[in-house]
Amino acid sequence: MNGKTAHILIVDDEKGLRYGTQRLLEDEGYSVETAENGEEGIRLGTSKEFDVALIDLKMPDIDGMDVLKEIINIHPNTICFIVTAFASYDTAIEATRIGAFGYLPKPFTPEELIYQVEQGIRQRELIIEAERLKKEREANLLELAFEKSRLNAIIKSINEGVLIINRVGEVAYYNYAALKYLNISDLKISEPVLYKLPEKISDIITNILEKETFSLKTITTQIEVKPNQELVIEAACTPISQPDGSLAGVVVIIGNITDFKKIELIKNQFISMVAHELKTPLAAVQGFLNIFLDKNMNLSEETKEDYLKRSVVRLKGLTDLVNDLLDISRMEIKTKQREIEIIRIEEVLTGTLQFLEFELKKKGISIEQNIQPNLPTIKADLNEITRLLTNLLSNAIKYNKENGIIKVEITTSSNYLNIKIADTGIGLKPEEKNRLFSEFFRAKNEKTRGISGTGLGLTIVKRIVDSYYGKIDVDSTYGEGTTFTISLPININ
Amino acid sequence: MALIAIIDDDPDILDASSLVLKSKGFDVITATNPQDAYIVVTEKKPDLIILDVMMDEPDDGFYLAQKFRKEGITTPILMYTSVSKAIGLDFGKNEMVPVDDFVEKPISPEELVSKVNSLLKVKEGK
Repeated sequence: MNGKTAHILIVDDEKGLRYGTQRLLEDEGYSVETAENGEEGIRLGTSKEFDVALIDLKMPDIDGMDVLKEIINIHPNTICFIVTAFASYDTAIEATRIGAFGYLPKPFTPEELIYQVEQGIRQRELIIEAERLKKEREANLLELAFEKSRLNAIIKSINEGVLIINRVGEVAYYNYAALKYLNISDLKISEPVLYKLPEKISDIITNILEKETFSLKTITTQIEVKPNQELVIEAACTPISQPDGSLAGVVVIIGNITDFKKIELIKNQFISMVAHELKTPLAAVQGFLNIFLDKNMNLSEETKEDYLKRSVVRLKGLTDLVNDLLDISRMEIKTKQREIEIIRIEEVLTGTLQFLEFELKKKGISIEQNIQPNLPTIKADLNEITRLLTNLLSNAIKYNKENGIIKVEITTSSNYLNIKIADTGIGLKPEEKNRLFSEFFRAKNEKTRGISGTGLGLTIVKRIVDSYYGKIDVDSTYGEGTTFTISLPININ
Repeated sequence: MALIAIIDDDPDILDASSLVLKSKGFDVITATNPQDAYIVVTEKKPDLIILDVMMDEPDDGFYLAQKFRKEGITTPILMYTSVSKAIGLDFGKNEMVPVDDFVEKPISPEELVSKVNSLLKVKEGK
């Protein structure tokens, strides 16, 4: 048997048969052990793995079938024959069902015996070879792909990409997500794969595979798989060890971080923008102060006063920006305490118009009010509603033409309080309208030059409206004007 | 006396810079956006251009400077920078920086005048 002597076990209570069969088989070159009853048969058959076992069916202590069961249980690859004088169809079937390879009816001729044993041994060789190949594949992790377990089904369907590479750089396992995130069209199990992978990943893997020793540390790297940040992934590579502690391969878990990167970019751009917006007024004020402090510059009193006034204006703008930023951040964190009270919207409007009086006068803007009598009150936070109106009216002034008009209309319809603010100003182009409420978005065209702002005003407006489950509509014609309509639900107790 | 063009969208910076330079005897013309700047420079042909790095968009100062150079305008350009390396200096990592010198805002009158004088001397030397 592959150069090695086959080991055969004979379990039979009949002494003569035992010795006779043993002699026969030993003459053929086999190594033989015997058991004189079922119990001993079980003991021998389970303690050592025999290639072949010949088991007598009818024994005084234990039924041959039970001996068969016990041996098969421990050594499923032992080729077992049931030997019996009481041959019957039923016992043959039952024996096979339990796992016997063959059925030998007594009496048998030496030739019959030897023939059957040879068949058994051939089968045994096939089994052993298959086992060996399987172990080899397991050592190469190539069995993984053929596992029909539920775990496999789960891995195939998760969001993260899973790619397993064996110690010689071949694919042992992959799921669809891995292909997608690595932008590889197809992979075959046991295909060499390192050259197909992004360089950063193949470098990490090669490093792990080539080292004498390895530690179970995960190495992570970020890779832009498709240019312009269209697909960015994070790959985590971890060595896998065999049961004996040697390196089996590397598992790569791939996550899609494209969105995260987008947000990171937006955040960094935001920070840059904020820095610029903060530094600009400071530079202007510092510039004025530097001139004040320079002994060689002889400034007229008029100029001095002008510069001081302008500095004040710039610093106010700076304060406004900081307040806007704080508002946004508070809304994000949602820790802002709301003080809900009963609010008369017409009063808030009046207060806001008073607050903006200077700006209105400066640009010559006139207000036309159309307010429905007996308006219901709403329950809301006064600061938020004031902020809402202030931002909208402030924009209506800023983007208006000189001596323009702002029409404010407040009505009710079904369960809503509707506030309409229409200006006769610059208006919006369609593409600007789409982005209107985005953070820091400011319309930039020939007409908007010179208009200052943080780009956060309407963002704050939208967040406030959303937080009251209200609606906001924008209607605009470029060059003619813009109308904002806010609808807030009326709380009826 | 030399004619200096100052291009910056911030009227306060513009006025402060103009005051300083005028007090030193320079003639000053101004513009607040790239389009007007282009007209002013090509028509009035100043001896020096002071250009802000960012007006409407990040880097539009650089782009304007590049445009001047491409059209053969060799006038020395002094660039105002405001946010160190933060805002949009993605411009031309591989391209030649088309300006001759930088000065960081906020501006100190001394530094401004000193840089302006050096650049004008260089121009004369040409």
